[in-house]
Amino acid sequence: MFYVVLYLAKLTNFLIRIFKKGAGFTWPGHLALKLYPSLFQNTRIHFPRGIIYVSGTNGKTTTTKLITHICENNSVKVLHNKSGANLLNGIASTILLDRNIFGKALADLAVFEVDEFTLPHLIKKIPPTVLILLNLSRDQLDRYGEIDVILERWERILAELDPRTVLILDATQKKFDVLSKAFKGKIFYFNDNLDNVRHTKLLGDFNAKNVNAAVTAAGVLGIGPEKAAESLEGFDAAYGRGEIIEYSEKMYHLFLAKNPTSFNNNMDLLTSGETFPDTILFILNDDPRDGRDVSWIYDISREKLFEACRNKEIFVSGSRCLDMAVRLEYAGIPVKKDNISLSLAKLVKKISGTPHVKSVAALPNYSAMLELREVLLGRQIL
Amino acid sequence: MKIVLAYFYPELLNLYGDNGNVEILSQRSFLRNIEVELLRISPDTRVDSMLMAHVNLVFMGGGPDSSQKSMYEDLLKNKGPYLKDYIEGEGTGLFICGSYQLLGHYYKAADGTILNGAGIFDLYTEHFGERKPRCIGNTVAELSSDILGDQIFKNVNKLGDTLVGFENHGGRTYLGAELRPLAKVLTGYGNNAEDNTEGAVFKNSYGTYFHGPLLARNPHFADYLIAKALKISGEELKALDDTLIHSAHTASKKLKQ
Repeated sequence: MFYVVLYLAKLTNFLIRIFKKGAGFTWPGHLALKLYPSLFQNTRIHFPRGIIYVSGTNGKTTTTKLITHICENNSVKVLHNKSGANLLNGIASTILLDRNIFGKALADLAVFEVDEFTLPHLIKKIPPTVLILLNLSRDQLDRYGEIDVILERWERILAELDPRTVLILDATQKKFDVLSKAFKGKIFYFNDNLDNVRHTKLLGDFNAKNVNAAVTAAGVLGIGPEKAAESLEGFDAAYGRGEIIEYSEKMYHLFLAKNPTSFNNNMDLLTSGETFPDTILFILNDDPRDGRDVSWIYDISREKLFEACRNKEIFVSGSRCLDMAVRLEYAGIPVKKDNISLSLAKLVKKISGTPHVKSVAALPNYSAMLELREVLLGRQIL
Repeated sequence: MKIVLAYFYPELLNLYGDNGNVEILSQRSFLRNIEVELLRISPDTRVDSMLMAHVNLVFMGGGPDSSQKSMYEDLLKNKGPYLKDYIEGEGTGLFICGSYQLLGHYYKAADGTILNGAGIFDLYTEHFGERKPRCIGNTVAELSSDILGDQIFKNVNKLGDTLVGFENHGGRTYLGAELRPLAKVLTGYGNNAEDNTEGAVFKNSYGTYFHGPLLARNPHFADYLIAKALKISGEELKALDDTLIHSAHTASKKLKQ
């Protein structure tokens, strides 16, 4: 059965590639789990240096990329879910597709960013060797429910977790105290010290924690702090997180802004002087992947929004562009009617035709970020 | 003209951008040179009839269970009686989701536990646990004839008869025989997914499950609250350029549930 599922997954992936269905990446995993629900219990799924899960509301993708980067620079071959597909099906796809024809893992280590809601479920299916919990803040309430609910689920799963697992936690998250108490094994903590982040090209104080989390994880794998810091030299942002794309002579700086915390962090970044855009492009979608409830845009700090938008040209797109424009209007930021469009492609075209625009800070939520990259780079979502 | 807006438990009850309602009320007043004094009322704030005599608008949102636990006793013991006097004395108020439930007689949890409410609104709420699905999704409702027929509403309404929003609640609310609903559900679950009612109106206070936040896309209802709070006919309120907001309201009516 293992091989049937493996080959079927590979075939599905092949067909998706032929038909260039970018978003179809999760299908092989979905199909495999349907046919073989106990797939993850199969020992042939495991990796020699173990499995790391990175979870939390913000910073998962960046931290995953950081760990991968450090490990690869220290000759550890890493498998990670680079697509940002962080639900069960995406992870199942990643595990299944990175194998030789005998079903043996090609990588030494797997590092997965895991959706915070999926985490307990996934841990039950396949326990990690290292678990990193970054933070918890409000995100997609219509899907996840309240933070307390997630925290409680985490607490329960940690109480049951094999004490040989290594847990890595943010020392500054007060609400994580219950997690420390629940887990019986070894815990390492990281903080917001700025020493490590200086080796990278990452912007914003919030990235200091992501870097420190990655350095801590590297330590657990036997890569010392000096070696880890050294291999961080020149590390660049994960896609959509401070990534820069040039398009028709405009520089687009992509800052994923998918919940109030990441939005506020990005607003701080835009006012910190670390980056100097003359234009801001907001893109708000209500795709099920983003959460269909967009009321969280009123949890973004009004003052931060106002400061970041001051003296800048504002454009707004996405399936809920009108809601975003109203939110800006209530924050005292008027948006020109012609600068609002459901069609991102049209709006980008308009930006291309606006001579005084040189540098655009784009603030998309998740599905909007994929869409924007598709518009700017052509069809290469993943 | 001055609005003294008492925002109850702003740190604890501000789920789903509920604090946006306060921001919107303030902004719409500010644009008309109406002064707004915001009183942020936390569990430590002393509330009495002296204080409430100055207040002409009350807002209270919804919160996660843990937050509701930490304000619940304070509301029932310390603030509830004054809030009751305020509401029964024709004070204007807006209560969203969790606070709407708390103003009723009781909340029956999925395990059968009964939590007493402030007993101001003649309603009760029951959570059926796994037996009934959570009520989540985009909503559209038609305002009740009481409101549509109110001259004050007619004076401020430049938009239409509907309220739009997003609901997300596990509890289902049932109104007493005398309590009037705020609106009739066109899309969504509303109070209980059975009787097509949404929210409740008691004197000049309103309870609802709609967030989004409620007032963001429903400027007519925001202005109605402002006029009610100021005890004016609504004609005095300068019309604002709500073109964009009206488009957002209209677009919302076409959203999938």
